Amino acid sequence: MSAGGTDLAFLGARQIAALVRERKVSPTEITRLYLERIERLDPRLSAYITVIPEAALEAAHRAEAAVMRGEPLGPLHGVPYAVKDQFDTAGVRTTSGSRILKDHVPTEDATTISRLNAAGGILLGKLNLTEFALGGTQHFPFGQPRNPWNLDHDPGGSSSGSGIAVAAALCAASLGEDTGGSVRSPASFCGVVGLRPTWSRVSRHGSFPLSWSMDTPGPLARTVEDAAWLLQVIAGYDAKDPLSSRVPVPDYARTLADPVHGLRVGIIRELTSGPETDAEVREAVVEAARCLERLGAVTEELSLPLVPFAGAIFMALADGDGAGVHHRWLRTRPGDYDQGTRRRLLTASLIPVSLQQRAARARALLRAQMLNALARHDLLLCPTAHQPAPPIAAARGTITGRHEVAGRFFTRRSYVTPAALAGLPAIAVPCGFTRSGLPISLQLIGRHFEEATVLRAAHAYERQSEWSRRRPPGTN
Amino acid sequence: MIDLTTDQVGALAAALGLPVTLEDLAEVTHRLNALIEALEPLAELPLETVEPVPGLGGAPAS
Repeated sequence: MSAGGTDLAFLGARQIAALVRERKVSPTEITRLYLERIERLDPRLSAYITVIPEAALEAAHRAEAAVMRGEPLGPLHGVPYAVKDQFDTAGVRTTSGSRILKDHVPTEDATTISRLNAAGGILLGKLNLTEFALGGTQHFPFGQPRNPWNLDHDPGGSSSGSGIAVAAALCAASLGEDTGGSVRSPASFCGVVGLRPTWSRVSRHGSFPLSWSMDTPGPLARTVEDAAWLLQVIAGYDAKDPLSSRVPVPDYARTLADPVHGLRVGIIRELTSGPETDAEVREAVVEAARCLERLGAVTEELSLPLVPFAGAIFMALADGDGAGVHHRWLRTRPGDYDQGTRRRLLTASLIPVSLQQRAARARALLRAQMLNALARHDLLLCPTAHQPAPPIAAARGTITGRHEVAGRFFTRRSYVTPAALAGLPAIAVPCGFTRSGLPISLQLIGRHFEEATVLRAAHAYERQSEWSRRRPPGTN
Repeated sequence: MIDLTTDQVGALAAALGLPVTLEDLAEVTHRLNALIEALEPLAELPLETVEPVPGLGGAPAS
């Protein structure tokens, strides 16, 4: 593959759409490029569960013909994308990363897929994930997903393949789903942008559920601009999801480049300078906050005392919901689950109701703390993860004591679940690299339905930094 | 704080009709005890008057 081909593959989705529109790149050419890269690079990354080359090339030929005929083109016309295998795709198997659904072929597209296709996107395939979008999978039935920055390290989850495929340019952009960090965590570990929209901003129809009050589809992309671009396509009311919002969808691109001067940013002390936060992560995130200050934002440290409990609160509630979803299969097909998934769901099935009630009430208090902070600040800032991507081996093996559980499950979730528990939009943006070459990520959290502010601040920061331009080793 | 034993956790699972192997049971017990312990400090909060609703979004959903 020529260097030019590699450069083309690493372009943003919006840039590719512009080149297609200007007839400088054909949809067939760019689709072939990504398919070649998937064939060459994915055997060691396992980003994809299913690739659909014939269907993708057919769609690319149709897109090319439309360009040549001078037809009106959608915003993603000719842009190859991929989706987490949690979203239904008509005629294409949708496994949710589980042996239980290994032969499941939906007859209807998820609403998000319908919208991406209607916008002209070309679906390349379905992306790997932790089983049923829960974390803690021990043995991935469709291959161990690997971090492109270091193959021995975790790519994050649950939208693991969505992060890998964007980082390694195995698609132009991807779709993930974020119940408690499942878009932002892989974005953080893989060094790409991941956006969790406000809960209800994007239809959940056709997405395998985990927790009805937190499940939120969201884009992963190489730039903030692309994330805004994809959100524009998938956001908005859907009659097939009765909980989707009728709040009007603004034009995100229109305000993306507006200045951030005067924006009030609250730095969450417990997550940024707390004892659990890795020193290199803290340093990079504080420097990112200083960068926003130089752009005219006003930063102030604040305390949200309940956020250290967010991980445990989340697992009591979301896992409890998940136990309800899986109850029948847990009784009838326990051996078909991965060991880690089964043990997590069994645990969730046994959580006392009094404890769930306590967690639900604490969630309401945590939400109130966050909304109070957002009454005084336009955005909240903290790391997306307390540490860079850990080695895959660190999360392997049987848990032999309850103190291991906190380290594996609660601590890291406390960084991404506050926004999920409060239903707030949040973005993960690359903000540096460790000395060992692993990405570090900044998280910005905004008010309900104020994705435009989140995207504007993230875009302003991104333009001042060079992190998004780096490429993982071995991905040329 | 009193830890649940594997026998107690096994009985809870049996009550729900959930088959649990001995290997699973040991780890599930650790996980459940860890969650109970992690949520224990929340009992100190003034939660009695807090309504346990998710508080979805900032505007009517539909």
